[in-house]
Amino acid sequence: MEMSEQLIQVITRTVVEQLKNNEELRNAVVRRYADRNGQNGRTGVSSLAGKTRMRPKHSYEGSVRAQKGTDPKEIVIGVGAAFQTEITSTICGIPLSDVLANVKAGIEEEGMTSRVVKVLDTSDVGFMALQSAKLSGSGIGIGIQSKGTTVIHQKDLYPLTNLELFPQAPLMTLDTYRKIGRNAARYVKGEKVTPIESVNDPMVRAKFQVKAALMHIIETEQLDPERGMIVWDQ
Amino acid sequence: MKRSKRIEALDQRAVNKDGFIDEWPEMGCIAMKSPYDPKPSIRVENGVITELDGKKREDFDFLDQFIADYSIRADRADESMAMSSLSIARKIVDIETPRKEILKIISGITPAKMVEVINHLNVVEMMMGMQKMRARRIPGNQAHITNLKDDPVQIAADAAEGALRGFREEETTTGVARYAPFNAMALLIGSQAGRKGVLTQCAVEEATELELGIRGLTTYAETLSVYGTEKVFIDGDDTPYSKAFLNSAYASRGLKVRFTSGSGSEVLMGSSEKKSMLYLECKCLFMTKGAGCQGIQNGSVSCIGVAASVPAGIREVMGENLVAALLGLECASSNDQSFSNSDMRRTARTMLQFMPGTDFIFSGYAAEPNYDNMFAGSNFDAEDFDDYNVLQRDMQVDGGLRPVTEEEVIRVRSEAGKAVQAVFKYLGLTEITDEQVEAVTYAHGSRDTLKRDVAADLMAADDMMKRGITGVDVVRALAESGYTSLADSILSMLKQRVIGDYMHTAAILDENFQVMSGVNTPNDYLGPGTGYRVDGSRWEEIKAIPHRIDANTF
Repeated sequence: MEMSEQLIQVITRTVVEQLKNNEELRNAVVRRYADRNGQNGRTGVSSLAGKTRMRPKHSYEGSVRAQKGTDPKEIVIGVGAAFQTEITSTICGIPLSDVLANVKAGIEEEGMTSRVVKVLDTSDVGFMALQSAKLSGSGIGIGIQSKGTTVIHQKDLYPLTNLELFPQAPLMTLDTYRKIGRNAARYVKGEKVTPIESVNDPMVRAKFQVKAALMHIIETEQLDPERGMIVWDQ
Repeated sequence: MKRSKRIEALDQRAVNKDGFIDEWPEMGCIAMKSPYDPKPSIRVENGVITELDGKKREDFDFLDQFIADYSIRADRADESMAMSSLSIARKIVDIETPRKEILKIISGITPAKMVEVINHLNVVEMMMGMQKMRARRIPGNQAHITNLKDDPVQIAADAAEGALRGFREEETTTGVARYAPFNAMALLIGSQAGRKGVLTQCAVEEATELELGIRGLTTYAETLSVYGTEKVFIDGDDTPYSKAFLNSAYASRGLKVRFTSGSGSEVLMGSSEKKSMLYLECKCLFMTKGAGCQGIQNGSVSCIGVAASVPAGIREVMGENLVAALLGLECASSNDQSFSNSDMRRTARTMLQFMPGTDFIFSGYAAEPNYDNMFAGSNFDAEDFDDYNVLQRDMQVDGGLRPVTEEEVIRVRSEAGKAVQAVFKYLGLTEITDEQVEAVTYAHGSRDTLKRDVAADLMAADDMMKRGITGVDVVRALAESGYTSLADSILSMLKQRVIGDYMHTAAILDENFQVMSGVNTPNDYLGPGTGYRVDGSRWEEIKAIPHRIDANTF
């Protein structure tokens, strides 16, 4: 069968409309159940079937691709795709603007400079950090997911290894973020660096893993690999 | 609304601190069956699989192709696929159908067919299936040996105590990645101080882990992660082929290897292709089988918070353990990650593997307090040792552990600590003081031990790698420091890689370094009166828990 451009457009439009109708229908059903039971989610419909995303797609129209730095004092901070757009605070509620301010302040305290980019081609924090390190004039980079998970990386290391990893986002504080900035800067200076002490909460998974999954879905659905890494001055 | 005091009391219960979420197939948040899972189908032309679960060969992604080419016996496919899923499910539970016959049938089915089979089984039937399909005759157990400080002395002491308590494998990882060489070496030494023949591994970044293995500082590897969708594989810079290659790299040096997978990882990484957790896990397990790997660590593992959040999630976890056993793989059945605030719920989850027995019931029981568990907490920890021993005694079940005395614990912890101290001194690494050995010997966890100079340790660990220190150097250091018997044991572990028998499915070693595997000691369960039973000296050992009332002195 021959498929003209026009036919494809017609089909697409019909399908999209149908999907929209389905979504509205489903929402109406959920609302009805919620009304009847007085409290949404407690009883009634126990399926999210039909829902296709968490947040609408953000447009990065007009964004500027980040360039490789040449300043040997520079550390690139690569933030997640939903950072300060769809997600504004970490999994434990620390505002992302404060996170960024503290990492930057830590870097400056040690006499180095920082540059923030948004990573739109991966939401894996190891790769986010490694790509930032490769973009960075010093070869040291920091990756920060919107939920708060952070890695300090160096451009010539394997992707899944790192200089320092902070895997338990719910345990992070602003002080930790400042120390991360400081330590990253000390790696640039080639000092003998004492890694930030590990912290551990063995119940963190029970309390936070589902939220972490949802936040990661929000981050991942905002990826825009064509754009790669973009300048991010918020 | 005026609140009910009953509901308020319930709201405060630990279980209500856990995360629960509704089924959401579009995001893969669905345990057993997604409306988007494919229907089983297969077409074989001239010995080549040209259609798999509704997909034509030209539409295969690399996982489909790998599975079609290496994981399914094309010569058995027509016969196996012609059987109904229900009849296969019934044979799995049937005590008249031997394990071997099931393995043969399963070798010809597809991942989607496997999903159908598992969906026919309730949890008790899954447990019956596991009791028959587990590869090794006797079940086993594995420990996590880690601490917040990455203190090598504590690693050695906890490893020694863990070995004494019956763990057949011990796994460490790091808080700070560059500590890996120290942790691996301390674990190797400590494990043999507790009980001979314990296998050890260091779970870190793959290239480092391989290097440590090649140098003889570990004796097996486990954290070769595989995933159920192409996208997640690619995100990790990997393919099924690269994993198969890595598996061969270990095998070439005589190291035991198992892969790691588990439901929920694709959801967490945001690429589930709308498939059920069980379907994606089946793809992982078929891939593992196709890569020629002897076994798998699975059962949601570190993503258990996701699987446990959805309806039938814990049933799915047991289901995927059973799939591993059905494919003839060694199954290290997780239970290694905390997922619930409720003691009742976390225990119930473990009973599914504990009662039938798996090759390794835990693929990481925290043999330290959970605050020191650097895998972010295990489902059971050192404070649960006595509970676990009592469960074995109550039900006359072999969970792989045994009661110990305080004197024995102190003795092996002290010996392990001193041995590591001697090796560090001989090899010119960082200093380990007598005070530290003493503190660790009597410690419960790292809150009771001394601080280490982390920066100096990391430089010494780097240096150790640069100098090319190997397992043989550890043997020499021990022998020349007067630890002859320990040196002998570690040398015997190194010899295993030349002998190679412990690369067979589900292999562990006894105290005389003799292999017990699914090949020389296969599971022969066929209903009441057959298979492994807890009796004789093992039962006497299990009975002898501490804190029994002595009727003679009452």
